[in-house]
Amino acid sequence: MRIEFWGQEFKANLFIGIPGAFIIAIMSSMFGFGGGPFMVPLMTVFMRLPMYVVVGSSLLAIFFNTLMGTARHYGFGNFDLIFFLIMFPAAIIGGFIGPRIAKRLSPVAVKRVAVLGLLILALRLLGVF
Amino acid sequence: MKKFVSIFTIFLVMTLFTVSVYAQKATEQKQAEAKPIEQKTEEAQKETVTIQIDKTQLSGGGKITITGKAPAGKDVYIEIYSERKVRAARLDSDPDPKTGKRPYIFYMTDDMPAYYRLIVPEKYKSVLDDAKAKGRKWSVSEVIKNTGADAVYGYPAKIKIERYQTTLWASIIGSRGEKLEPMDEKENKKRSMQLLKAKFRSVGNVFSSNLKIEQDGTFKAEIELPSNAAPGKYHIIAKVGKDIKSESVAVENFVTFPNVYLSNAGRTVNLFFPFILTAAITTFGVIMGAGGGFILNPILVMLGLPHTVVAGSVMPTVLFSQASGIYNYSKIKFISWKLGITLGIAMAAGGFIGPKLTELITLEQYKFLFGWVLIILAALMLWQTTPGYLEKNKKEQAILKEFKKRAEEAAKKKQQGGN
Repeated sequence: MRIEFWGQEFKANLFIGIPGAFIIAIMSSMFGFGGGPFMVPLMTVFMRLPMYVVVGSSLLAIFFNTLMGTARHYGFGNFDLIFFLIMFPAAIIGGFIGPRIAKRLSPVAVKRVAVLGLLILALRLLGVF
Repeated sequence: MKKFVSIFTIFLVMTLFTVSVYAQKATEQKQAEAKPIEQKTEEAQKETVTIQIDKTQLSGGGKITITGKAPAGKDVYIEIYSERKVRAARLDSDPDPKTGKRPYIFYMTDDMPAYYRLIVPEKYKSVLDDAKAKGRKWSVSEVIKNTGADAVYGYPAKIKIERYQTTLWASIIGSRGEKLEPMDEKENKKRSMQLLKAKFRSVGNVFSSNLKIEQDGTFKAEIELPSNAAPGKYHIIAKVGKDIKSESVAVENFVTFPNVYLSNAGRTVNLFFPFILTAAITTFGVIMGAGGGFILNPILVMLGLPHTVVAGSVMPTVLFSQASGIYNYSKIKFISWKLGITLGIAMAAGGFIGPKLTELITLEQYKFLFGWVLIILAALMLWQTTPGYLEKNKKEQAILKEFKKRAEEAAKKKQQGGN
């Protein structure tokens, strides 16, 4: 598929993009996390699109998934209103404070700490310790 | 930005208000309903069972002492269940021992008590210990059989269980499958035991052996309702056999602000705990650039909330921030609608199937798969800290900034021109 973005033309490989987006969406809605960290590498590395095309468009694609996933979870009765009302404002507060702190930190160091944290969490989930 | 801050503030205030009003109302209602419960103090006769409890009201859980008298020399069992109900579900994919065929039948009930406990006589403690030693492979039916509780296992056996014949195709199109005929009493009982395990997981969450029986038939048991127990009435019955049982007595548990009961999760939580946890984790999630769900969901699941409710309630929390992000990008025309919508349709299809799978998988499978997702994510992030990537990313970010600047200027110009 050819797309135009700010006067430049790009070719988007949908043979990779559509199955990739589909699988990421299944995982994302199944576990209830955002698909961003997987969608951005899919679009930049595997579809070879530049970052400036990807940032907005990937968000739009993920929004479709969040909307559908939310509706389906609601339909299956897995949505707890009070739990949601507690977490929703907290998530928005996090979204406000986060970028302000991030400015003062080295992104590489943060990522390395995050990798360590994620690995510990993963091993706990897998029951290693 | 200012507008956004004010909208957010209004929203925050409204949310907190709603939550607190709800919690307050619930408490008032319960207090109004509370009535003293008549305790049966009739003289113990032969073949009858009497039961007394030391209190009829609890606040945020607590210890109850149950005493009573049963015919001498007989085993007494005590069943406790909450009036609050939750959902329990289980996909039966165990191969049939005779044919080796996997049935793929999905059992589901909305009538599982949020709290259930069967107290068996103290002498069966070893049976419970054996079951505990088996780890995940323990079975409710085996414990019931070995403690001689088959005749007294009552309340959950009668809950209404629906079952669906699931197929691979039904899962793909996101349906529960074809609804099957209701089960007979015996089958319902058997399946209820499996659902008990699916819901409460561990031996100690279903059984207790804290019940002393004296030679003359008097008995005494202690049970501790956890602080996260559901509000409402808890019915307590002592049983000797199927028909030889005491009257049902009830103790009522109250949950007061800032504790709130999550009706779908079947648990009471302190309002501030998930709030602070979510705020802290999303902050970190934003800093590391991966969103909070990756860390928040496993932690909530490990804390004992059902994975279905966690996935279903965390997912909508990002709707608002995503929508505002899209709005901001679209204002400066920084979205390729064609690309976004094309991939979006594929993602919507995925989002249709995913929640169905959440319901089908067990907690163990959820943890296993999530563990691997996190390992992949960690690998991705590690790769993003390699020098090669960083250099490329620096260039990309510079171009991104440049383009964004141009886009913002163009949007501004247009706006001024429009005015």
